[in-house]
Amino acid sequence: MLPYYLEIYVVILGVLMLCLELFSGRRSRSKIALLGVFGLLLILGVMIFAVTAPGEGVQYWGIYHYDQWAAFYKGLALLATLLVLVMAREFAPVFKNYTSQDEEASGLGEFYCLPVFVCAGLMWMSSSKDLVTIFVSLELVTMGFYVLVAFMRRNVGSLEAGVKYLILGALSTGFLVYGIAWTYGVSGTFSLEQLAVILSGDDIADRVAIFAFALLMVGIGFKIAVVPFQIWVPDVYQGAAMPVTAFLSVASKAAGFIVLLRVVEPFLSAPSLREPVLYLIVFVVCATLIYGNLAAIAQKNIKRLLAYSSIAHAGFLLMAIPAIGSVVTVRGPDPYSSIAFYLAGYLIMTLLCFLVLTIVRVGNEGEDLVAFEGLGKRSPFLAFAMLVGVASLAGIPLTVGFFGKFFLFNIAIQNAMQSGLWIVVCVAVFGATTGFYYYFKIIKAMYWGGGASAAEVGELKVGRLAKVSILILLIAVFFLGVFPGVLLDLSQ
Amino acid sequence: MSVLFYIFSAVMLGFGVMVVLNRNPVSSALSLVGSFLGLAALFITLNAYFIGVIQVLVYTGAVMVLFIFIIMLLDVKTEQRRNLNYVAMGGGLLVVLALISQLAILLGHFAHGKQQLAVLPEDAAVHQDVKRVGEAVFSDFNFHLQLLGILLLVATIGVVVLSRRQGRADRS
Repeated sequence: MLPYYLEIYVVILGVLMLCLELFSGRRSRSKIALLGVFGLLLILGVMIFAVTAPGEGVQYWGIYHYDQWAAFYKGLALLATLLVLVMAREFAPVFKNYTSQDEEASGLGEFYCLPVFVCAGLMWMSSSKDLVTIFVSLELVTMGFYVLVAFMRRNVGSLEAGVKYLILGALSTGFLVYGIAWTYGVSGTFSLEQLAVILSGDDIADRVAIFAFALLMVGIGFKIAVVPFQIWVPDVYQGAAMPVTAFLSVASKAAGFIVLLRVVEPFLSAPSLREPVLYLIVFVVCATLIYGNLAAIAQKNIKRLLAYSSIAHAGFLLMAIPAIGSVVTVRGPDPYSSIAFYLAGYLIMTLLCFLVLTIVRVGNEGEDLVAFEGLGKRSPFLAFAMLVGVASLAGIPLTVGFFGKFFLFNIAIQNAMQSGLWIVVCVAVFGATTGFYYYFKIIKAMYWGGGASAAEVGELKVGRLAKVSILILLIAVFFLGVFPGVLLDLSQ
Repeated sequence: MSVLFYIFSAVMLGFGVMVVLNRNPVSSALSLVGSFLGLAALFITLNAYFIGVIQVLVYTGAVMVLFIFIIMLLDVKTEQRRNLNYVAMGGGLLVVLALISQLAILLGHFAHGKQQLAVLPEDAAVHQDVKRVGEAVFSDFNFHLQLLGILLLVATIGVVVLSRRQGRADRS
């Protein structure tokens, strides 16, 4: 089967879900989510078993490229969307309070459809190697997020988050387009492969190319939430509905990194541009790592805490970028597959945390650290899942988060030994240690925080699908924490 | 042509400044119309008739009418009473100046930018820009056009969901 059918299937699934919403009358919307979950599962299966990726990759019309790398990110997008739909189904009771009591007017059906279209955008993006396709599919993703963030429209926080995200997102898009225009002005091409050739040539206006890169970096910086473009993150994460926050932190970040990796390579492989571009990136990495980790310490709201932690994780991911296009050969996995591994691990552990958060939120209406006090007594299973998720985010050995950080540090250190960029490594070590403090604050609240026991407040209800998802994610965290090679092979 | 360029640029920039300076939203919106018209005229002096016409039809016509409708539905007075934030204004000016000086330096170093482009024939029958735009959109960039179709679907769903009337429970 042809690889480009995959996205078409995803779009068809989205339209089918919309139709089901239209014709299902006043009955419960949860089967739309079920259709989405199983449809995406089917497409994932089709991708794994029926679409082969040849080693050197194939391309169609010069627009759509399919290789192992693209397949990896497509799988990531499908998996993230699938889990977000599971989460959204759990979240429905809270969600209804903020849209409409009336089942029919609550818009839940549309809420389940939008992530599917976003998923299609993500999949197209991972297959694109020119600036126009990247831009159009990125816009499809962002447009879906604009709506999703503002979805709980009777909640002031959600509306505020929606407005902030819309305005800053539009601004960043403007910078991105301006950067693309300058890139085209310098090189006369949209294709990134040709761009690499042209930028490495002699006849190139260096300053203009760097200006173009800086503008592109502003646009992408908003999407992956790095300092100094991180201002929107805490408010938007806090205001949006829980499943949307999870989707935002995983999918939006992955999208940004796909674009960044594609765009940064031609600039870093051009000999005359490499040095100034490196300065820019090193500054961003250090600022992001310091700001994200230090600001997270003071947070009392778990969503805000995870927002700052997501900024910090963007910093860790960026650590591998300076090694791209360098003459130094790195032993172990290359920067591309290390970043892919980290993103996949980040997806697993973040969604695990957010699944637990969703259930706790639905159960006792709280998002603050206080709501987690005594969770260890009330619901040992959920507390354990959260413990594992948080430990993995911190990077404890035997979890997938450890190997993610391990591979990135491996690259940063080897690169530093050759090029002397030790500052990145130092700041990252500082950041990783700080991380332990604020992640363990959550663990402390769960097990030593006092709080009410199950007998006093009643058990937390966990749906069957959510339980299965949590179990699978738990197993994945441990399995990949012991055998990282399985995932690493897929991304090479 | 050069004289026309300066005249239309001055019109565009002048109205652009007015958009920001006017305290009354309706005057701001109408200044924006003037700014767009100047831009459209600039496109036409470059022989880009199609994009010039579209600029007038879409932005000056449709989008601006929408703007003015929305302004009429909102409360204009609150906007007029709002106090100026001088710190933010200074910061904004600083950013604008930095960007302008950067552009001025860059353009001096940009050899490609100084190239004289070949003059297009003025005869509309020869250079048919509508046809060219159409060819580019529906053949070279057809795939992207399809993607934009899905993007519009998502946007439509969003508008319907976010602007839908509240349910029965709210009205009671």
